Parts: sequence; C-alpha cells; structure tokens
Amino acid sequence: MKFGVTILFILTTFMSGCSSWGVQPWERNKLAEKKMQLEPAPLDSYLDAHIYYSKESSSGGAGVGGGGCGCN
Amino acid sequence: MQLKKSKSVRKMLAVATTTLLSGVAHSANSSGDNNWEVDSSILYYSEADRVTVIEPVVSMRKNMGDESFLNLRFVLDSLTGSSPNGAIKTGSAQTFTTPSGNSTYTTAANETPLDPSFHDTRSSINAEWGMPLNKTTRAIFGANISKEFDYQSLGVSANFSWDFNNRNTTLTAGAAINADTINPVGGVPTGLTPMSASKATTGADDSKTVTDFIIGVTQVINRTTLMQLNLNIGSDSGYMTDPYKILSVLDGGGNLRLTDPYLYEKRPDSRARQALYWKTVMGFGEDVLNLSYRYYWDDWDVSSHTVEAKYRFSLGEKQYLQPEVRYYVQDKANFYYYNLVDGAIPTYASADYRLADLKTTTLAFKYGIDLDKDSEFAVRVGKMNQTSNGDAPFEDVDATFVQLNYSMTF
Amino acid sequence: MRLISGFIISMLFVFSVHAAPSSSMPLNTKNGVIKLSDFKGQVIYLDFWASWCIPCRKSFPWMNEIQKRYGNKGFKVIAVNLDQEADKAKAFLDKIPANFTVAYDPEGVSATAYKVKGMPSSYLIDRTGKITFSHIGFRAKEIPAMEQKIKQLLKK
Repeated sequence: MKFGVTILFILTTFMSGCSSWGVQPWERNKLAEKKMQLEPAPLDSYLDAHIYYSKESSSGGAGVGGGGCGCN
Repeated sequence: MQLKKSKSVRKMLAVATTTLLSGVAHSANSSGDNNWEVDSSILYYSEADRVTVIEPVVSMRKNMGDESFLNLRFVLDSLTGSSPNGAIKTGSAQTFTTPSGNSTYTTAANETPLDPSFHDTRSSINAEWGMPLNKTTRAIFGANISKEFDYQSLGVSANFSWDFNNRNTTLTAGAAINADTINPVGGVPTGLTPMSASKATTGADDSKTVTDFIIGVTQVINRTTLMQLNLNIGSDSGYMTDPYKILSVLDGGGNLRLTDPYLYEKRPDSRARQALYWKTVMGFGEDVLNLSYRYYWDDWDVSSHTVEAKYRFSLGEKQYLQPEVRYYVQDKANFYYYNLVDGAIPTYASADYRLADLKTTTLAFKYGIDLDKDSEFAVRVGKMNQTSNGDAPFEDVDATFVQLNYSMTF
Repeated sequence: MRLISGFIISMLFVFSVHAAPSSSMPLNTKNGVIKLSDFKGQVIYLDFWASWCIPCRKSFPWMNEIQKRYGNKGFKVIAVNLDQEADKAKAFLDKIPANFTVAYDPEGVSATAYKVKGMPSSYLIDRTGKITFSHIGFRAKEIPAMEQKIKQLLKK
C-alpha cells in the first residue's frame, strides 16, 4: 500500500509538469538525434536481455517510451 | 548422448524477451526520407568450459507515411556446450542418468557435474505493428512465435502511449501474454523423486503462461536530458521447474547418501514478480550517457539490483567508442539449496546456481562507425563474470561475448 | 492607489501575453531584416521549421509548389528556421532548396511570440495582417484542406 502511494507520488510529480522540466517544441534538436533515444540500439538490448534472462533470476523493467523530436 | 537435454537451458533462454519488454522502441524520427530500416546483429557468447551460443538477429522496419510502422524480427540461436546439472562435486567420480533413461554420463572426482555436450537450434519471429490513434496517442501491437524441435512459445502484446505537456511527458501502458509448451524427453519427472532410468513422471506436459503489465512515464527534463520510470508487474504460472536439474542429498556425515543420492528439483508453480526501472539519457556535447537502475522482487524471495551505465564518446562525426558496465546483485530464492540433507527434504528445492545469492559484473566496449550516410557498422566486445554472493560455493562463471552489428536505411 | 496601479500593470501584462504577435516583429533573412507588416495586402503562409524535424522535410516541396502557383496572386511563404546550429539549416537547404523566403531565428524569439506548440507549425495571415488559421504538424492528407483555406483568403 505504502509502495503504491510512493509510485503514485512519483508519477504525479512527473505529470504535474514540474514547470522547470521540459522544453519548447523547437528546442528538441538534440532529443531528435538517434543516439539520444531511450533505446538507441534495440538489438543490443534484446541480446543482452536474452543473456541475462538465461543467467539470472530477474526479468523485466524496460519498455517503450517518449522523448525524440516530438514532431507532429 | 541425448540431444533433447538442451531444453533445460533452452527453457531459460526461451520466453526471455518475447513480451512487450523486448522494447522495439517507437521512434518518431527514425529514418528521415528512407522508409526501410534494417538492423542486423550476430552474437557470439562463450563461457569457459561451458555453454557457447551463436545468435544472429535481423530486424526490419517499414515506416509508412502516416506514422505507422511494421517491424519484423527474426532470431536464430544455436546453443552448444554443457551446464551444471545441480549436483555438487564430491571427492569421487559420479554417474548420472540421462533423461531418456537410456544411458549415463560420468563426472570425475572434484569436478562440478555438468550436463554433457548438446546442440540445439531455436528460431523465433516477432512482429510489431505501430500506429497513431490520434495526434498525441500511439499504439503498438505485437505477436511472436518461437520454435524448437519439441518446444513452442506463442505470445501477443499491446502497448499504448500518450503525450502531454507539449510532448514533454509521455505515459505508457502495456500488457503481454506468452504461453509455452514443451514435451521433455522421457516425460516430466515428478519433483523431488530420485534420478533414475525409470524415474517417476507426472504424465503432464511442460507448459507455462507468462503475463506482464507495464506502466511508465517518460519526461523530457531539458534540451539534453530525458528520463523514464517504469513499473512492470508480472505473473508466471505453470511448470517452471527444470526437468533435468537435480540436487545432491548428503547424509549426516557430509557425504552423498547411499540410497537415492540425487533428487529431481521442484519449483513452485506460480511466481508473482515486480520490477521498478529508472533510466536517464543525458547528452554532453556530442557524447551521451545512458544510465539505468532496476529493482526487482518476487514471491520466490528473489530480489535484485541492476545498475547499468554506458558512455558514448563521440570520435568525430562518424565514429564513437562506448564503454559499458553492468553490475547485478541478487538475493536467493527461498527454495535454493546448494545441496539437500537426508531427513530434511523441503517442499520445493533447486540447486540451480542462477537462483542463488549471486553477483554478475560485465564490462564491454562498443565501437561504431558510419559507413555512409545511410549505414553503420559496430562491434561490441565484453566480459561477464558471475560469482557466488553468499555461502553456496559454486564456481564462478566467466564468459566473453563478441557482437557484430550492421544497420542500414533505404 | 498601489492596488489600482498593480491591477493596471497586471492587466497590461495579461493583455500583452494574450495579444497577437506584432506584425512589426523583425525577422532576419539572408537579404536583411523583414517584417510581416512589409507584406500587408498579401496572404502570408508563415511556417516554423527545423532541419531535424522530419515532417518539415516533407513540407518543403509543397511550400515550393504553392509559392509558385499562387505567388502572382499576392501570396508569400515565409519559413522561419529554428535550428540552434546554423550549419544544420544550411545542409538541409542544400539538399532541399527553398524557392521562398527563409528567415532565421536560432533563439526562438518569433516562435515564442507565436506560441508555437509543435513542429512544424504554420499560420495563415490574411491581407489585413490578421492570423486567420494556425496548424500544427504536416501530413499529406491535410494538404487539400490547407490549399482550400489559402484559396479562400486569396479571393478577398
């Protein structure tokens, strides 16, 4: 229960759009670069996840996300 | 020599990343004017004296004009070598029965018993269809199938993303379900019964269902910083025991007991797990830092911390060098035992070192170069070491991997 | 007294924030400074773009086409580049030449004034200098509707 409240707090802090966080739509030049994506090398991540899933007992966590050029 | 024995390791490799977590990231800005992106990679992974894997992967993506895309990924993995069968090394030679019951294999004194050489190939196909639902919402639907001689895995997934705050914040939610079926050679041994040519079997097939849910938020912090936080909740149910792994049973004097010294392992038939994952991407001039942390915990009492850091040094406009480190530490499952003791056989037990208190450290280097404006070549080389982080004195595992990547857009 | 002046000042602030961008705002081009007010009497298609924005790349051929087709009816395309790095904008224009006016605003002053909400953004300004239509993004299927609006403004 306490854990759930913590997660909710973290998420709403992000969502309340901490006014100091974020950029204008025309300021996304760096964020648009391939190397600045959350997943710049999907095959590396896939192969690593495969290795570690076979050698360890944990799994999960990473997923799809945002960032990028934010283009419309 | 039994070919099918590979399944023990195979099952572990199997449903690995066939869930939504395999992350074929939807990137709105991928290829520019080119509609096709092809990424290919081949991995060579080798553990000293144990398993060797060769794994080619090809991923092809077509971007349609209206922001939808189709991605297909083909994987082949070919595994050879041997891995520990769960028994402990003793002062004398040991003999073990093969799963079919037709033959035996022997391990010398003072050596960790290993399943002898086997060789098997698995192939899998993963398809993802991404589409915009409206200007600020996207969906990705996925399906996958994996096949081996006597093994099959099928899965589907769905992921949704919503942009807020001028696309500075993105919320994602997803779900995936995977079902696998295996028919092990010689049948499924009844857990915690003696290893023998005429082992007791359950008559059931070897199947399990894996379900995952994920929610996450990505936040643009500033022009050069991005962060993501995900919570992944999963549930596994079905047969999760390794049908070929055993435990050694010792008597009161610390020696292998005379009758039935080896019992097949037995794991619970359900697992509830959670992972909390945080990642940041930060640009420093033309360099990029990628840092992530994951905390994992489940109802087998396994819990772990994973820290991963990669720093991309830009070497001019076309080349880069990226050192990568990963540190992983795990607390053991509540049914992990290095060995059992006569008279005190628990309900669930496994001597698979991958469930023990352990630590994995990895160091790798990746070098990449743009061959022309539409293609890139990269090579990645690394070393991984696994060692006991508790009382169980299992041997270290040392592995080396080499990965070659080639990507192009057209 | 202080309350009243405070109120007046905050009202002025509110109005200035919500006021339309001034048509005498200077825009830098390679041929000197221009202002939208210089082109009163013409229909203006004001576009905000950057080299890293993929839909922007797709919009250029169309903007070339409409400038050519409607130019003699009193129509002007002005595309404001918001690249932080000038060489990136130049590389883009070398590959995809623009046969219309291009302005450069690396600090994003005009983008802020026009409250640009996404890349690319376009504004249709009528012959009296009023912003009649704004649009975020560029998609091929939206072209017919956009051309319809341009033709309507050109008639006036």
